[in-house]
Amino acid sequence: MSGEAKLIIQDLCHHYPDEYTGESVHALEGINLQVYENEFVAIVGPSGCGKTTLLNIVAGLLPYREGRAMVDGNEIHGPGPDRGVVFQEHAILPWRSVARNIGHGLELQRVPKEETRRRVQEYIDLVGLSGFEDRYPHELSGGMKQRVAVARTLCADPVIMLMDEPFAAVDAQTRITLQDELNRIVMATAKTILFITHSVEEAAFLGDRCIVFSRRPGQIKTEIKIDIPREERVWKDMASNPKFTNARDEILRLVRQEVTSDDEH
Amino acid sequence: MTAITEFSIAVQKRVGRQRLLKAFKVLLGSVPFIFLIILWELNTQFVWFDPIEIPPLSDVWGAIFFLQSDCPGFVAAMQQHNDCNLTNNIMSSLGRVILAGVVGIPLGIAFGILAGMNRTISGYLEPVGIFMNSVSGIAWIPLAIVWFGVGWETTLFIMLNTIFWLIFFNTMMGVRAVPKVLVQGVQTLGGSYYDTIKHVYLPGAMPSVITGMRMSLGFGWRALIAAEMIGGDSGLGFMIFVSAVEFKTEEVFLGVILISLIYLISDRYMLVPLEKWTIERWGLVWKPT
Repeated sequence: MSGEAKLIIQDLCHHYPDEYTGESVHALEGINLQVYENEFVAIVGPSGCGKTTLLNIVAGLLPYREGRAMVDGNEIHGPGPDRGVVFQEHAILPWRSVARNIGHGLELQRVPKEETRRRVQEYIDLVGLSGFEDRYPHELSGGMKQRVAVARTLCADPVIMLMDEPFAAVDAQTRITLQDELNRIVMATAKTILFITHSVEEAAFLGDRCIVFSRRPGQIKTEIKIDIPREERVWKDMASNPKFTNARDEILRLVRQEVTSDDEH
Repeated sequence: MTAITEFSIAVQKRVGRQRLLKAFKVLLGSVPFIFLIILWELNTQFVWFDPIEIPPLSDVWGAIFFLQSDCPGFVAAMQQHNDCNLTNNIMSSLGRVILAGVVGIPLGIAFGILAGMNRTISGYLEPVGIFMNSVSGIAWIPLAIVWFGVGWETTLFIMLNTIFWLIFFNTMMGVRAVPKVLVQGVQTLGGSYYDTIKHVYLPGAMPSVITGMRMSLGFGWRALIAAEMIGGDSGLGFMIFVSAVEFKTEEVFLGVILISLIYLISDRYMLVPLEKWTIERWGLVWKPT
């Protein structure tokens, strides 16, 4: 990947006290990671490996003490509009219509109304929600809600989009559709994305690079480049794409190692 | 049987099933009232109870005109003319409810949001809130009379004290129930602390706030009537008390009926529309079908 690094993480470690016992939990150890402009980096690892912790630190929702984390050259202190997050659960506001949810970031940044309206319409069209502008989230399906969440994040035009298992809560059919759509959106918007998932298939399908995490304390175990052009990443062609199947099998093997070694303890 | 079923389906199609169900509900709800009114009329016919104990329905109706007999007219009534006894008492009670609501509800919401968001503030306020709520609102009346004397200050204090703690508690609980991810979502869109209050905590707490409003309307209205009886010099509670002392039972009956009617109307035309406009539209409440 050419271009400059949008996200730089250096020697990041993280400990936090356990909610019940108060014991120190070692969540992350010596993370070094760079995400370049227009790059899609997928982080995959066993559950409880600290990948969500890493995302929360980058989002600014979790303060860190050891190591450094920078976005666009600025040290991360607290949440900000330069790092948009798509959460696993539905984080869109139930009391805002689809259009007002998508335009919320612009509203908070005091962007003029006329421009907001234009950009909101653009992203509504992009995620295929035309005609649903005035609906409220409770009137939408799970997949549509996540489309709103993605559009809301993109519309605020962040430097990097962080996605925390965004399709984990939808049904299998919808998931495949949303993954195909996300590919199309990535092509259309050329965004820099850090994507967290526990699904090996998803990581191999979406990522330009896959980072495999070890079990706790989370460390970067391996990095796998997946050299498939975006245009070719369509689910119906994937089964016959050796680049995809090889990468998927390799990642699966690495993740399995972590899960099995966990069982031996 | 099939003919009846067919007829029923035809009627449902023609009138609309929802409208029929609604009408049926209203019908069911009015049965006990009709039963009571019939009993009441029978009592007038057979005089099981003396008219001084249970006056005839017509006397209660007549009391409206008796109490307003010297009132020069509608405009004078609105201007609280001295001779418009009934309307003056109604307006006096209503005015206090509105005043206490206008002061107590925003204050309760503000403190409730602060306490819901901040563990330290709720640590300070929660125990005293439980203490205040455990003491029934009317238990304050004797003390309030000592402090403020007989009059509107006492009744206002009693109402405020009732409303504030109810709204405060419900808002606090509502704020605590707001999913954290909604707040984080707004923060990562560039929202400030104030933005999270305005865009997340306040609307998120609405179901609880409305519950609090409904409770304070009920409890507050009751406390007000009691306060007016003991420590007031006007209002429907005061009217009931004075009429009872003078053995004008029909005025007491009228007062009681008016009190419940005003409560019913304010719930139907203030709280229900507010509910529809906010939490029902947002899908935050389960809607009975």
